Amino acid sequence: MSTTNPQSDAPTDATSRPVDRARARRRSKQRRRVANVAGLMASLVLTGSLYSVFAPAQAAEDTTSESAAEAAGRELYERSCITCHGENLEGEPNRGPSLIGVGEASVYFQVHTGRMPLVRQEAQAPDKPAVFSDAEIEQLMAYVQANGGGPELPPGGNLRDGDLAEGGELFRLNCASCHNFVGEGGALSSGKYAPSLKDATDLEIYTAMLTGPENMPVFGDNQLTPEEKRSIINYVQTVKFQADPGGAGIGRIGPVGEGLVIWVVGIGALMFGIFWMGSKA
Amino acid sequence: MTTHDTRPGSAGGADTPGPLHGGPDEDYTPEQLAAMSREELDILGARYDGVEILHVDPGPEPGSRLEKRAVRQVGWTFAAAGISAFLFLVVYAGSGWFLPEWNWATEGTTWSALFNPLLGLFMGLAFALAGVGLVLYTKKLLPHETAVQDKHDGSHFDRVTTGATLVGGLHNSGLARRKLLTRSLGFMGAAFGLMLVAPLGGLIKNPNKGNPLGRTSWAEGVRLVRDDGTPVRPGDQEPGSLETVFPAVPGGNFQSDAATMLIRLRPEQVAADRPREGQADYGYGDYVAYSKICTHAGCPVSLYEQETSRILCPCHQSQFDVTQGAKPVFGPATRSLPQLPITVDDEGYFVARSDYPEAVGPTYWNRERI
Amino acid sequence: MAATATTPGAPTSRLGKAATEFDDRMIVAGPVRRTLNKVFPDHWSFLLGEIALYCFIILLLSGTYLTFFFDASMVEVEYQGEYDPLRGTQMSAAYASALDLSFDVRGGLFMRQMHHWAALLFVAAIVVHLLRIFFTGAFRRPRESNWLIGVVMLVLSLLMGVTGYTLPDDLLSGTGLRIISAILLSIPVIGTWAHFAVFNGDFVGTEIIGRFYIAHVLIFPAILLALIAVHLLILVKQKHTQFPGPGRTEHNVVGNRLFPTFAGKATGLLLVVFGVCAALAGLVQINPVWLWGPYNPAQVSAASQPDWYIMFLDGSTRIFPAWDINLPGDYTIPALFWPTVVVAGLMFTVLAVYPMIERKLTGDTASHHLLQRPRDVPVRTSLGVMALTFYVWLLLAGGNDVIADKFNISLNAMTWVGRIGVIILPPIAYVLTYRICLGLQQHDREVLEHGIETGVIRRLPHGEFIEVHQPLGPVDEHGHGQLAYGGAPVPKRMNQVGGARRAIRGFFSPIEQPSAVELEQLGEGRGLAAGEASRELTSSGRPSDGGRPSDGGRPQDARD
Repeated sequence: MSTTNPQSDAPTDATSRPVDRARARRRSKQRRRVANVAGLMASLVLTGSLYSVFAPAQAAEDTTSESAAEAAGRELYERSCITCHGENLEGEPNRGPSLIGVGEASVYFQVHTGRMPLVRQEAQAPDKPAVFSDAEIEQLMAYVQANGGGPELPPGGNLRDGDLAEGGELFRLNCASCHNFVGEGGALSSGKYAPSLKDATDLEIYTAMLTGPENMPVFGDNQLTPEEKRSIINYVQTVKFQADPGGAGIGRIGPVGEGLVIWVVGIGALMFGIFWMGSKA
Repeated sequence: MTTHDTRPGSAGGADTPGPLHGGPDEDYTPEQLAAMSREELDILGARYDGVEILHVDPGPEPGSRLEKRAVRQVGWTFAAAGISAFLFLVVYAGSGWFLPEWNWATEGTTWSALFNPLLGLFMGLAFALAGVGLVLYTKKLLPHETAVQDKHDGSHFDRVTTGATLVGGLHNSGLARRKLLTRSLGFMGAAFGLMLVAPLGGLIKNPNKGNPLGRTSWAEGVRLVRDDGTPVRPGDQEPGSLETVFPAVPGGNFQSDAATMLIRLRPEQVAADRPREGQADYGYGDYVAYSKICTHAGCPVSLYEQETSRILCPCHQSQFDVTQGAKPVFGPATRSLPQLPITVDDEGYFVARSDYPEAVGPTYWNRERI
Repeated sequence: MAATATTPGAPTSRLGKAATEFDDRMIVAGPVRRTLNKVFPDHWSFLLGEIALYCFIILLLSGTYLTFFFDASMVEVEYQGEYDPLRGTQMSAAYASALDLSFDVRGGLFMRQMHHWAALLFVAAIVVHLLRIFFTGAFRRPRESNWLIGVVMLVLSLLMGVTGYTLPDDLLSGTGLRIISAILLSIPVIGTWAHFAVFNGDFVGTEIIGRFYIAHVLIFPAILLALIAVHLLILVKQKHTQFPGPGRTEHNVVGNRLFPTFAGKATGLLLVVFGVCAALAGLVQINPVWLWGPYNPAQVSAASQPDWYIMFLDGSTRIFPAWDINLPGDYTIPALFWPTVVVAGLMFTVLAVYPMIERKLTGDTASHHLLQRPRDVPVRTSLGVMALTFYVWLLLAGGNDVIADKFNISLNAMTWVGRIGVIILPPIAYVLTYRICLGLQQHDREVLEHGIETGVIRRLPHGEFIEVHQPLGPVDEHGHGQLAYGGAPVPKRMNQVGGARRAIRGFFSPIEQPSAVELEQLGEGRGLAAGEASRELTSSGRPSDGGRPSDGGRPQDARD
């Protein structure tokens, strides 16, 4: 959902989406048609409801009164975030970006994964145990959302409610290039990295796609629909917890691990074997 | 009655050997050999093969404690190998019969995740134990001998006689004198060689015909569509995002050179944007489109770092700067990613304004000329 | 001869009669006896090549099994097999059959993994075997031809690996195929023609999997099989090399006869190699193609690498600078050409012709059947370690993104470490190895001259402390040993000469080395001792009677 010009986007969205979705699915089998129609309706309803949720939020911005949650959030903000992000979320040069318009989804991702508050400035904020409790995160989210709006958390429901195979296809197209085939993570330029998705929760993955934290590109709701995001999450989480049918997974990183195993275990074992054969009885 | 009588015309192998028959059979009569013990025969044969047995360390005394222990060890190892092999059979054949199904389900049932490791464990144990048992057998129960075998250099006699035969044959053929024959043979050989290689010509295809390397399916008015075939509008992407798009032609999303990255720049990036010369108008608003195929080795580059504007190729780590016309800034790539000129059609969807202005993908010999 | 049946000593048992009948027809008794009597030297390092041979047998067997199920076709199909996360996805028939093989064929995954592990082990064993041949000088005349055949087989096994890696048509192998395509294109002048000949057109086409398949299952294995046969025939004809030692000369081989000792051990090794491959195939997952997904030219994963034996070329490509050469007339030699075609070509050419280079440089054209200890040929050893350093460094550079990710190092820093290291590390390795070789040589000489350090400290009347040394042989008037170095290991510890407690029964020691004294004492009169007098190295490792330290070591009878 675009925050820049929702007025122009949303109506055309509603008219064009059904056609597009149908085209997208023409490769699918007959048996999933019914599910697809349901999916279409869901996405329609979702888009509409998102919009309706959105509009009041924008209206609320103009009011100056603060709810209790926002006030608590402000207090937390002033204690832990203000040094880098400024007095009024406007950011500090060379320290932290502006938080105006980043939305509660961004706050959720950054604080829930422990990336914020930052311990020190480095190439990239590492994830660590969250500093704030879930309730405190709610308060921070409310405070940031009230001051500038931005992407919101998905309206509940099962975030893995998507097509597994389609999720895999989308994951390989959009995500695998940085996060590796099944989310093991990978290196980026100059010390940056795409983190492993091993510990990522459904909502963290969802909000990461929605907000594009740090160097990750943003996948807005018009680029990857909420339904597609759920498919991706379903794929990531399914494959993550799926057993390795072939034995020990050795990190699922492919040839580097395999080469290490054949030299250390394979050649190692056989060298011991032939030493023993060559030794005196 | 001999074979000759019953089957006239057949000697039945009964004729006497010629004078050149010779060999050890001449030196040792059957009677002499029959008088020798098996050990003596073994040593005699070895000596004929140039092998001297210097020393034999006999195995353990029959019936000794040492022997019994070694026999037990070897025996148990072989037995364990047999048991492992049998367990392999049990797992292999028993799954789905008296054991749970081996078939793999989405979450992976416990048994289906164990099936393959158990197969490997038992077959590995079976083979390894059999091998260990055999080596133990040779080491602990067989006599150890130290043998020396002579190593002969080439025999002068053999060289001279073989040479004589070869040269004699060549001389008789008269090829050295009969020049016409030599020449015609040479000609024939060359022609035959070419004839036999010629059918490989079926493999050759002209890469310059129709310019398949320099062209893609992009053309004026071709829409930019997603993997699922939906077209893209300028409002669809957030700033700082990347979408892989394909030409709206049949099979466009499987073409090897058509994949394109549609990138929406953030305002800071727009401010810093320095497009390549003559390509300032290739973008549309804050959108730019670059080929996804690396100019180095052809891998899809799409590790997009939206804060640093870098695109990284995962194969050889070339890095391109989106705000500098996708110029390579690190790694082995030498050329910028080709930029696709884009605009918006009447219905508000992104379309290409033309094909890429240059060949997409890895560099080759005459790329500049295409 | 028909007469055999009535000759004295004719077999009376049924088996013997059958054997006689057989030999009447086939006349194999002579060759069989010669084969059974063939002597093999007993040293662990001679078994390395056998590991590779046995891996090849596994590859043939498991590979044949795989062909029953694999479909080398690039026709697009929709997957409908057991594996949920891909069901309904478009993919090539090759990839779908690889999935079916893994999930719908009982034991198919096991065989696939065994094939892949055996392939990795095959090349690894070849490399270790090659290192043994190189560092001991076993490639010298008359074995240059077998060295050459060996290098060709190494290249063929790499080609086997590359084509096999490509067959499943998954996202990882497809990325590799894309790079193979770019490498073909990068060849100057004929690049595009070569590419179109191999791929039957532009990348990716519809032919390549089928073509690689036939190359992988027929062309390369057939050549490899023929070369293995030639390799072994030449080996049998030329007989084994051996390390110098008591009784070993340029004109003999000391060891065990093929039957039964060597045959037992070799079969045992065959079974152990099978066991290791089977255990890996079951217990460690390799190339899980279902996780990689089907190939799509627009998709890629981070950390896309080839198998380890090609990784050095990926590494050289990663660290090579961006140097396109633009020629007049708008022709280009791409940067990709150098680190792939040229580096690989040069490396294998130098490897192949090394015996000729060494022969030229040293002027040593004599036949050699005795091996050299690496320390005795410091230049060759140092060159070898230098080349190995270069190779291993490239190999590591091939995994630099994984290293960067796992150890939190900057990827760009890794690239620079690779670039700088590949230039400065090999010379450093050369110098270090050279010094180590000289040091080891000197130590050997020192022990021969002054004897073994006994660890016994004596105090002389005037207060000086000295360590008692055990001379290895007769000494001259200055107390210096008179033994010359014979190219064999020199004992460095008292228990190796029987001066301390019983010699350690070596897990790591060659068979003759620790037992020399024991054997001499046990069987003084046997033939080996008689022939030794003529060789100077026979006396090395034997303490003469007067040589023992009067008050050092342990009592002799403590040995068991």
